[in-house]
Amino acid sequence: MKKNCVRYLILIVMGLIILAPFFYAVIVSFESAEDTLAFPPVFVPGEIYIKSYLEAFRTAPLVIFIINSFVVSLSVTVGQVITCSLAGYAFAFLEFPFKKVLFIIFLSTMMIPAESIIIPNYFTIRSLGWLDSYQGLAVPFMASAFGTFLLRQYFQTLPREIYDAARIDGCGRLRFFLTMVLPLSKPAIATLAVYAFLTTYNQYMWPLLITNTDGMRTVQIGLAMLQWDQGISWNTTMAGIVIVSLPTVILLIAGQKQLVKGLTAGSVKG
Amino acid sequence: MQKKSLWKRIAGLLLLGVMVMSITGCGDSSNEAGKGKEPTKIVFWYAVGGKVGEATKTLVKEFNDMHPDIKVEAVFQGDYDSAINKLKQSIASKSTPNVMQVYDIGTRFMIDSKAVVPVQKWIDKENFDTSSYEKNILAYYTVDNKLYSMPFNTSTPLLYYNKDMFKAAGLDPDNPPKTFEEVAADAQKLTQRDSSGKVTRPGMAMAIYGWFFEQFLAEQNAQYANNGNGRDAMATAVSFNSPQGEKVLNWWADMVKNGSAVNMGRKTEDTMKAFVSGQTAMTIDSTGVLGDIMDGVNGKFEVGTGFMPHPEGSANGGVIIGGASLWMLSGHSDAEEKASWEFIKFMTAPKQQAFWHIKTGYFPVTTAAYDDDELKKYDAKYPQFKIAIEQLHNTPINRSTQGGLLGVFTQARQEIENAIEHVLAGQASSQDALQKAADTVNDAVARYNSSVEK
Amino acid sequence: MYLIPSLSLFIVFIFYPLLKSIKLSIFNSDLVGRETTFAGFSYYSEMLNSSQFLHSLLVTLLFTFYTVVPGILIALFLACMVNSELKGIAIFRTIFAFPLSIAVAGASMIFMMLFNPSSGVFNYFLQLIHLPAVFWLSDAHWALLSVAIISIWRSVGFNTIVLLSGLQAIPEQIYESARIDGAVSWRQFIDITLPLLSPTLFFVCIVSVINALQTFGEINILTQGGPMEATNVIVYSIYREAFFNTNFGYASAESVVLFLLILICTLFEFCFLEKKVFYR
Repeated sequence: MKKNCVRYLILIVMGLIILAPFFYAVIVSFESAEDTLAFPPVFVPGEIYIKSYLEAFRTAPLVIFIINSFVVSLSVTVGQVITCSLAGYAFAFLEFPFKKVLFIIFLSTMMIPAESIIIPNYFTIRSLGWLDSYQGLAVPFMASAFGTFLLRQYFQTLPREIYDAARIDGCGRLRFFLTMVLPLSKPAIATLAVYAFLTTYNQYMWPLLITNTDGMRTVQIGLAMLQWDQGISWNTTMAGIVIVSLPTVILLIAGQKQLVKGLTAGSVKG
Repeated sequence: MQKKSLWKRIAGLLLLGVMVMSITGCGDSSNEAGKGKEPTKIVFWYAVGGKVGEATKTLVKEFNDMHPDIKVEAVFQGDYDSAINKLKQSIASKSTPNVMQVYDIGTRFMIDSKAVVPVQKWIDKENFDTSSYEKNILAYYTVDNKLYSMPFNTSTPLLYYNKDMFKAAGLDPDNPPKTFEEVAADAQKLTQRDSSGKVTRPGMAMAIYGWFFEQFLAEQNAQYANNGNGRDAMATAVSFNSPQGEKVLNWWADMVKNGSAVNMGRKTEDTMKAFVSGQTAMTIDSTGVLGDIMDGVNGKFEVGTGFMPHPEGSANGGVIIGGASLWMLSGHSDAEEKASWEFIKFMTAPKQQAFWHIKTGYFPVTTAAYDDDELKKYDAKYPQFKIAIEQLHNTPINRSTQGGLLGVFTQARQEIENAIEHVLAGQASSQDALQKAADTVNDAVARYNSSVEK
Repeated sequence: MYLIPSLSLFIVFIFYPLLKSIKLSIFNSDLVGRETTFAGFSYYSEMLNSSQFLHSLLVTLLFTFYTVVPGILIALFLACMVNSELKGIAIFRTIFAFPLSIAVAGASMIFMMLFNPSSGVFNYFLQLIHLPAVFWLSDAHWALLSVAIISIWRSVGFNTIVLLSGLQAIPEQIYESARIDGAVSWRQFIDITLPLLSPTLFFVCIVSVINALQTFGEINILTQGGPMEATNVIVYSIYREAFFNTNFGYASAESVVLFLLILICTLFEFCFLEKKVFYR
């Protein structure tokens, strides 16, 4: 019992430390300009000041941006889950020539600094006529070495015996993949999905480069529009951050539930 | 039912879109034959956000409402740096906008890109009268006697000070320091220390911002680069590693060393916040943030403004204007170019500039704007701004105050900031730090010039 | 066959641009980045002879060390803490994963506010315990650490989730049999948990190192490489050279070297660490 108390205490303290920065941002977003500049800092605003939020919505068409970000992020997520699970499966279970070399090549794609390939990619997208379109925003990111690696590592923790058993049963590779591996790997796939979604949602440079109309822009560009006002006070910028982060926070809470469910389904255990 | 009607509406919109597209598609040819009703579409890239961005959008909307024959599509392209980077890609892929807002220090690059139409072409063509435009502002964007771009949002730096603190320290609140020496002496008096001698409130806070260094050089009528500050011919080397440059750094470093000034890093936001929250008595910042400072202070103390300080005995110096201007890009049809010119004229006309000044705190680029009633009211509310106008008008136009032209200005600024950091931290002498910065920038200048000549 | 979708995307959007990048590093280019004349290896030799590049290299490695080690240790600790069936544990799992949902830009701006020298919360706390104020981002001694704090905060969420999913995959029976043998809990951790967790841990290590070597957003927003180049990591230097200094060749040479550096680090990890990884 005592042990549990200690554990709870540690959990609560750590949880607070991790949440504190964002909590404070939420508080500041409701403060007036004067309060945000005060020293010592104001932790409880005298009155709730919502003008910053109105200001944020007025400065940038955030709703359209959020919808765009969702469309792009969802496409990338679906794309990555498909390509990565296929590739991860191959690397974990199948034997084929140059497997090690190919795997290293895959991994190496993770190591290329995004800044150095962004410009050639711009020209590729342009020649495809995909500037200012959802395809242009999403397709380049639909494969991921990171995701492949994540799933490969997870697949390898699956007992080898189920693969052998399935082979003896005459189960085809693809069927084995679809009926056994995928269902067993729900937690890892959920992790990948959440990760893919969030990283795409948080992109800035690429969307800025290849989109040209407000109708195609994504949220991080909206945030950049708001950054301009941080000169004087933090409240509008923080309001923007809260608005832009809200969808991902909700997604994380929802996704995490799924994730935990997948984990506790216990299919992996035993 | 509702869903159906929504779909119908969408279908209708799509149809409308197709129709509009097909009309504009054949619009070019029909334009010559009598003023067609199809608007000429031009693309305008801007690089300001927040309330400045909002004011920009308002002006664009107003223009579109007043000019049914032209449709300006305003696109936000991130900050100035991102915007100019995006422009590079669009030049390489031949898809430039018609009009673009570019910051002051991008001037040399814009000219060298050979992708622009100097606005002088249209000024000459229409005999457009620029006499009401601020001379000092035009001077910056005039190169080889041609006005390359139309000044749009313009600011200069100012000395901001806390009058209440001046009174408390026994200084004259209506007589701000004018020279380096006076600033140093006043900053000492305004600095508060606790019993152990630790500084609790420094007298001055100045951000490490390369722009300020450039201003202090111009205040001494010293040039940033050779060949007439890069204006008589392409600069081949920088000249900021001069006794004048050292004077600036020594003055600054001395104040930081004796505690009367504080080094808060490169962000002017930080020094501004320190000033507004009463943690320092003086700061240097752009005229563009005057409104923000007044709102932030909100009557807690009285704000005074003064000229940028200069070393005792220096003459013929002044401030360099900063901000951004509107550029016309080449490679578009005559009709589009004409429309772009109309748009640029509109954006810098007195009425629009008065609105712009009130909303953003930037200078009106045309003196005619000062006759505007709204503007008069605004300036009566913020008498501090008068000092800024006086400062601008007191500045003689010469090569130093016109500002340096350098293709690698962003890099030069970065190197200067780096040098200042080293000097303030006591890790290098002013002379060595400036020399090192000059060497690095000179290499970059040589490379830049060689890539232009091809 | 299973690799085709991924491979084709990689070829178009990663390898082809990489080759272009390599090509750019041996050519001179004009103002907007089109190749003009052949430059050979001049950019490489210029770079390797430049003290600034060596400094960037050092800063990059230091930053990686500052972020990866604490980032993984904290996440491992958190993952172990939430790997239990206590009541309400799901809430804590979500909380620990939380930083993942905040974008780099957002996180950087929040911390910029906390780090603010005059009205920031961090300095307020220091003052409460009678410590002198710290100029988090403008003091060359602190800037890299300050940026590292943000990176750690941001990476803890992801690392915790992944490690937790690894922990959950360890069969309960193994612990039960260990308990019967009377193993104490920290021995249990070293003898059973760590080896069984090693594939996941290995994964987290590799990804963390790669991410740390490529950190850009925080630095771009908060310090721009300063003060006194204290946070000028290679990726930031590439960005500046290519996008501001119109020095495309040099920037490409830098990115090729960075790529090789990451490749070597990863191969190193594979050679030395994967041997210790225990796959079932």
